[in-house]
Amino acid sequence: MSRTVLKVTGAQGQGVNSVGEVCAKGFKRAGYCVLGYREYASVIKGGHSSYQLDISPKLVRGSETKANVLVCFNHHGLTKNLREVQDGGIVLHQTPEWKFSPEDQQWVEEHNVRVIYLPSEKILKTFNLKPIFGNVLITSVVWSLFGQDADSLKELIREQFGHKGEEVVQKNFECIDAGTAFKQEHAADAHIQLPKPEKQWRDHMLLTGSQAMGIGIIHAGCRVFTGYPMTPSSPLLSYIAEKQNLSGMVVKQAEDEITAIQMVVGAMHMGTRAMTTTSGGGYDLMTETISLCGMSETPAVVVLAQRPGPATGLPTWTAQGDLLLAVHSSHGEFPRLVLSVSDGEDSFTLLPEAFNYAEEYQIPVIVLTDKQVAECLYTQQFYDQKAAEIRRGKLVTDVQELAKLTGADRYDPMAEGGVSKRWLPGANAATYCAQSYEHIADGSFEEGAEGTRQQMGKRMRKMETLKKALPEPELFTVRRGQISEVRNAVHPEVLFVGWGSTKGAVLDALLELTSDNSSLIAGYLHYTYLWPLKTGKLEDLAGKAKKVILIEGNQQGQLGMLIRQECGLDIPNKILKFDGRPFFTDELHELLSQCISPPSG
Amino acid sequence: MNSIPLHSTGSSEFSGEAMKSYSCGNTCNWCDGCGDYGIWTAIKRALVELSIPPSGVLLCYDIGCHGNMSDKLMGYRFHGLHGRVLPLAAGAKLANPVLPVIAHGGDGASFSEGVNHLVHAFRSNYPITFILHNNANYGLTTGQASSLTWQGQPMNSSPNGIPENTIRSMDFVFSLEPTFVARGFSGNIPQMVQIFKTAIQHRGFAFVDILQACPTYNKFATHEWLMRHVYDVAAEGHDPSDFAKARQIAVDTSERISTGVLYQDAGIPNFYERLAARQGKTTAPVEEVEKIDVSGFMKELV
Repeated sequence: MSRTVLKVTGAQGQGVNSVGEVCAKGFKRAGYCVLGYREYASVIKGGHSSYQLDISPKLVRGSETKANVLVCFNHHGLTKNLREVQDGGIVLHQTPEWKFSPEDQQWVEEHNVRVIYLPSEKILKTFNLKPIFGNVLITSVVWSLFGQDADSLKELIREQFGHKGEEVVQKNFECIDAGTAFKQEHAADAHIQLPKPEKQWRDHMLLTGSQAMGIGIIHAGCRVFTGYPMTPSSPLLSYIAEKQNLSGMVVKQAEDEITAIQMVVGAMHMGTRAMTTTSGGGYDLMTETISLCGMSETPAVVVLAQRPGPATGLPTWTAQGDLLLAVHSSHGEFPRLVLSVSDGEDSFTLLPEAFNYAEEYQIPVIVLTDKQVAECLYTQQFYDQKAAEIRRGKLVTDVQELAKLTGADRYDPMAEGGVSKRWLPGANAATYCAQSYEHIADGSFEEGAEGTRQQMGKRMRKMETLKKALPEPELFTVRRGQISEVRNAVHPEVLFVGWGSTKGAVLDALLELTSDNSSLIAGYLHYTYLWPLKTGKLEDLAGKAKKVILIEGNQQGQLGMLIRQECGLDIPNKILKFDGRPFFTDELHELLSQCISPPSG
Repeated sequence: MNSIPLHSTGSSEFSGEAMKSYSCGNTCNWCDGCGDYGIWTAIKRALVELSIPPSGVLLCYDIGCHGNMSDKLMGYRFHGLHGRVLPLAAGAKLANPVLPVIAHGGDGASFSEGVNHLVHAFRSNYPITFILHNNANYGLTTGQASSLTWQGQPMNSSPNGIPENTIRSMDFVFSLEPTFVARGFSGNIPQMVQIFKTAIQHRGFAFVDILQACPTYNKFATHEWLMRHVYDVAAEGHDPSDFAKARQIAVDTSERISTGVLYQDAGIPNFYERLAARQGKTTAPVEEVEKIDVSGFMKELV
């Protein structure tokens, strides 16, 4: 796929993110789809970090490992990231008198890489500007390298700094002019040609997966949000907190994760929509309360933002290692729903659904995301606000119906599908006890064998009802470089199976793979709903495919384990990644090619 | 969802049959002489005297002997997990600030397993009532020492007495800048009724420490011992707005034990009132569950 990659590197706190974000906005407004990918260490200042933009007039779903332009705020990028530069690419740096090692120098020459030194300090001194203006100076040089018009950058800068007054704006404009002049004077021939832009991207949003989720949560009518900071779930907490005065939501940063989930249970029991967000370690602390939701049949929604574990692991990197945690967490047996977002679209659309399922089945719902989706910057069209529904299941609110209830309706073991009526404290009706002990229909204690069997049966029946109601995994059929809507007749010869953030990279890789190989019909089966696990469609497709390959961001192939457990289907071919990095499109393209035509001998 | 009735006033037959309306068919199963009988009676009485029907209150229970009350009376109830009743009750209250929420918990749950929640309940000043069933041991697990068990008492799992210090609970509580502190005795039902009524009507977090007899496992602070040592501060003209005096009479139990409303400051806004995002809202979060237009949130991201 034709894409251009800009990678900005530097120490955390140096302005890497700000340059990345301004450029992302600029390219999007110029008519390009932008995908932003951040890498950083678990420190506030000083760690080596990067902000990468994959830019194209076509939809970009996954990041690549190679950059056309590498910007280095300090010399570390010149050694650590040099070899990520494409043949014929550009390195823009500001380290005075920099000399590559002989090997690197040779590499630079062999790969026809243009190295441009920007004497930022000197230029800023000439204009008597503080070092902070260096960010805009670098941005303007990058902007010129991409052949973009300085006025469009000025417009962005005015939007960003306008509130600081005209003087600040004018100083920034001086920097932009200086950067543009520098480029013309010292690197007039250096140029990165972008393909023709597409108008459609201009009015898209640029947002992270966390922001997408946040908007979905507000849209879903969630009115109480609790949390305890933990990367990579914190950006969601921050977004919701930042918007609370507009949304009117009750936002509580709790004393710990146990509090956060307990408050959710209390608020959901009372009848509003409430949720919390955390990462693996925090989720571990919540698990006893998840079990309480199972027993008391209290709806709850928890976002579990994955990062590599065990223990503190790699806080600022990504993983898909908590699927089995989400499915098996908590003591005792009870129904739950586990689902996973995968991009900027479903990070929004799945949140109202999470609440709907939680309320309809009166169960805990665990929404998986990961650092990759949570912090990736997506070019996203406006969400369709007509699509979402608010479904509250067997919630009784009608006054006359309330008057007919008895306490024993609450946990009626004979309820159809195991789902009994639910009504809210304060309603003028018979009262009941939401009970963490085993109980009879009105929540009174029960220690008898028959009653225990009945209530366990009732609860677990919900699992079956839910499984029937859930959508099957989604099949993307890819051929001749296009994702096609293929009707029943065509079956993929090679079927890839995955979930979560893997989707974007797999689809981009398959588009390339099927462009190379025009006779290939490839399929990607994407699991959004992971527990209870539906396997009918998979079994059908796997039976017809020549080869099935599992792709997951964990060490054991956890979805593969669940598939084998649920239907006996074993997927021996696995592409697994567990080094904290997401799947990259070019990397997957190569791996998938090998899968399809293994080297002979 | 404006059809959700928020604050039930009960049926028209409510008055005159009030105590009966809280009665329930399940038989109490506490030990003979357990202080829970008195607390159970007093909480029902207090609710009745405040004209709160069973459908107009949420009673939350921790795990312990007191939690066995959860199916021995009517009312909307939630019997949750050990040590976690405070965040459960606080979360419930935030969803529907109109409905009275009362949390019951023991000294094990409140000063060991969930002591963090107690700290943060004070600093958050949640508008809920907390009734501490303080029998100075873990009764339901057969008499282990809690952090409020006296020194030198042989207990199940600490036959030589506890090697740790006993927490000076009232000193601790007053260090957290409470807005309401009361103490009662499970043998004095009329006084508990008055305390509970005042606590339920308090603006913020109402902490009510009930010294509770545990005839089976607590052989030190027995019903008789407590009866001999307690006195009513109201009878001695105590001014509950006097923080220093309240703290002094709460902490000093060397000669006799003060009971009644020890301290109250109703001038301090509770957690919900402090939320900037909720200013001017006339509805409760429980009434606001509907699809919310997010156009504004999307537009600012273009």
